[in-house]
Amino acid sequence: MQHKTVIVRPELCVGCMQCAIRCAQAHSATKELATAVFEPVLAKPRIHIGVGVNPQGVLKPFPNKCRHCDPAPCQEACMPGAIRSDIAEGSKVVDPALCIGCGMCAMACPYYAIRYHHDLHAPERTITAIKCDNCHDRQKKGQIPACVEACKTGALEFGYVNEHIKKGAGRLANAAWSMQS
Amino acid sequence: MNKDFKEYSICTDAQAMLKKARVEGIETVWDRLLEQQPHCGFCELGLSCRNCIMGPCRIDPFGSGPQRGVCGADADVIVARNLGRMVASGAAAHSDHGRDLVETLHAIGEGKTDDYVITDPEKLKRVAEEVGVNIGGKDDAAIAKALAERFFADFGCMNGTLSFIDRVPEKRREVWAKFGITPRGIDREVVEMMHRTHMGVDNDAVNLCLHSARVSLGDGWGGSMIATEVSDIVFGTPTPRVSKVNLGVLKEDYVNILVHGHSPIVSEMVCAAVQDPDLLQKAKDAGAAGINLAGLCCTGSELLMRKGIPMAGNHLMTELALITGAVEVIIVDYQCIMPSLVAVAACYHSKIVTTSDKAKFTGATHVEFSVDNARAKAREVVEMAIEAYKNRNPARVDIPVEPVELMSGFSNEAVLAALGGTAQPLIDAIVAGKVRGVVGIVGCNNPKLKHDYVTYNMAKECIKRDILVLVTGCAAISTGKQGLLMPAAAEEAGSGLKEVCNALGIPPVLHVGSCVDNARIIHLCGLLAKALGVDISDLPVAAAAPEWYSEKAVSIGMYAVANGIYTVLGLAPPILGSKLVTGLALNGLEDVVGATFAVEADPIKAAELVDERIKTKRKALNLTP
Repeated sequence: MQHKTVIVRPELCVGCMQCAIRCAQAHSATKELATAVFEPVLAKPRIHIGVGVNPQGVLKPFPNKCRHCDPAPCQEACMPGAIRSDIAEGSKVVDPALCIGCGMCAMACPYYAIRYHHDLHAPERTITAIKCDNCHDRQKKGQIPACVEACKTGALEFGYVNEHIKKGAGRLANAAWSMQS
Repeated sequence: MNKDFKEYSICTDAQAMLKKARVEGIETVWDRLLEQQPHCGFCELGLSCRNCIMGPCRIDPFGSGPQRGVCGADADVIVARNLGRMVASGAAAHSDHGRDLVETLHAIGEGKTDDYVITDPEKLKRVAEEVGVNIGGKDDAAIAKALAERFFADFGCMNGTLSFIDRVPEKRREVWAKFGITPRGIDREVVEMMHRTHMGVDNDAVNLCLHSARVSLGDGWGGSMIATEVSDIVFGTPTPRVSKVNLGVLKEDYVNILVHGHSPIVSEMVCAAVQDPDLLQKAKDAGAAGINLAGLCCTGSELLMRKGIPMAGNHLMTELALITGAVEVIIVDYQCIMPSLVAVAACYHSKIVTTSDKAKFTGATHVEFSVDNARAKAREVVEMAIEAYKNRNPARVDIPVEPVELMSGFSNEAVLAALGGTAQPLIDAIVAGKVRGVVGIVGCNNPKLKHDYVTYNMAKECIKRDILVLVTGCAAISTGKQGLLMPAAAEEAGSGLKEVCNALGIPPVLHVGSCVDNARIIHLCGLLAKALGVDISDLPVAAAAPEWYSEKAVSIGMYAVANGIYTVLGLAPPILGSKLVTGLALNGLEDVVGATFAVEADPIKAAELVDERIKTKRKALNLTP
């Protein structure tokens, strides 16, 4: 079965970082921005805006997050089995109780989507792997992932990859035929 | 917008018009709020800085991203700079409004206008003497000119202080002097804030916040107070009168003209023009029964207080007033006029007429008013409304409710007159615990909160607890629409307040004016503190802005606190990104100016906070809690 996922369209990203701030808020203890920034262990964003240079020399933002691969290189590299597939169907979710902060998952990740921070769910340890969990808590309540809700430009969409691709294929077909004289 | 319309407002007129807007496909402020959400998280916390183009910069409140802007400013400095600019903008708005009144007074003094006159010469002389203008042997015009020149000097720093500084109790002035926040000139403090917040000037958050206080005091005891006092001198000092409120004040068979904005200068002339027999005849010739004038927001309050002109609604009602389909013209001056009004008016036969060169709206009709043409221009606009009436589509008219009565006009002079000439009966009632304290509930509407819900319920809860409520601006309209501004509302008050209200024949919630008229409240606090020989911060008083939205409200809240008045806000200002500034606002200022802010959107809890403050202050004065 296919699962909805966050589809990234970097060409629409303006680098506003709303996704990152709302991601951290959604993963805080209190879930409200006004209180989340006063929590003793601050939540951390799980989506990051990388900056690249295009051929014209212009700096361009690139929203980057976990793709929830299957099989997942991070999961395969995780010795204590802290990256679990059984917490939320279709998502690779870090179990802070099992994470030992070794860094293997981050090194294995082809998307550079895992970082290490002091985690409010494992406050006794200095670092824990922190990555996207597909906002499975929000999804259970009928909400879409916080980063997608925050995105002002459509650079992040929540949907099925095949539907997205199908729409794209339609656009391509239109483009191809519209060029015929 | 897909919720039940009752989720948006407690007012039946608002709910009915929101439904009509939906049916007719007209966008309102609530639709646009939904489109904007979620708002920018950095901006909500005050953590974005656009002051220079090394940036724009943002500070990551969760600590994994940048903690300093390109210049090196940290979260505290960025938040304090942003707050400072909000206060400066708010103070500038009130004060520039005040300056327009002083210019009018000056024009009267120089004989450059036949349209404007001195309506309250007694107050002219009283205020002139109070601020040290020599009135001996001078006629009203000469006094007006001299007083205007005295006030002009307040705007720069020609006087080195403010004309009304002696209204501030000595103990309060000592506090200001100790922390260096005594205002030196109205414009000077605003300009200095713009200077300080330029890159590389004031980079100490506490120092910036202290200057914010100074800017706001220049507004409260300067720009706003001058606006209030000169408005009284030129247009008359308000006295209690009964009028009507809500969209039901519009009349189906009349040419309906609304005045909107903040200044009485244009609206008073419109008020005169609608009584002109020739124009009334023209309206009748156009098929109307007459001309009906009503107000919106603070311009509406200015006319309501002085002339008893009915009030159509507050900030969030301005678009909805047009949606009745029964408004020919909204004449606006400045501040709080949503740019969207032009687009909503375009869905009907309605016209938006702008009147000030500093407030033009693309798509509106501009009719420039000045001291030498105001009466003629007002007639021109009324004629425009009569022409527009001919294009009204009766099928689209829906005036959804019957109006409610309200009592207005409680200037300090009127309050003192009601008390028999001095503040002593009020002090006696406070000492006896019949009136346990006084709270000023002021400020705006904000679509983030259910329209009028927080303001109305907070006021209702306060009067139950024997706390006398003073209201201004949009908050006055919120409470008026629910009947709290009538003497009969004393029935809803606690036994002590009820007794006092019934004895004096006044409502338990007193409408003291527009938002510049918050100056009346601090003036009254000054009078009470002086009479008791204490500081304002010792009084059993508080302030609240439950549904605030504007930069002007930030300035008002800041001067309330800088005067020692505890202030409860319904929504947090954008300062939460700085622990230092937030800590100062919620706690630290108590040791500086003797008051703090609190944030509470629940009206009952907000009233509880005010009550606790009043209890504490009463105990300190050896009074019953």
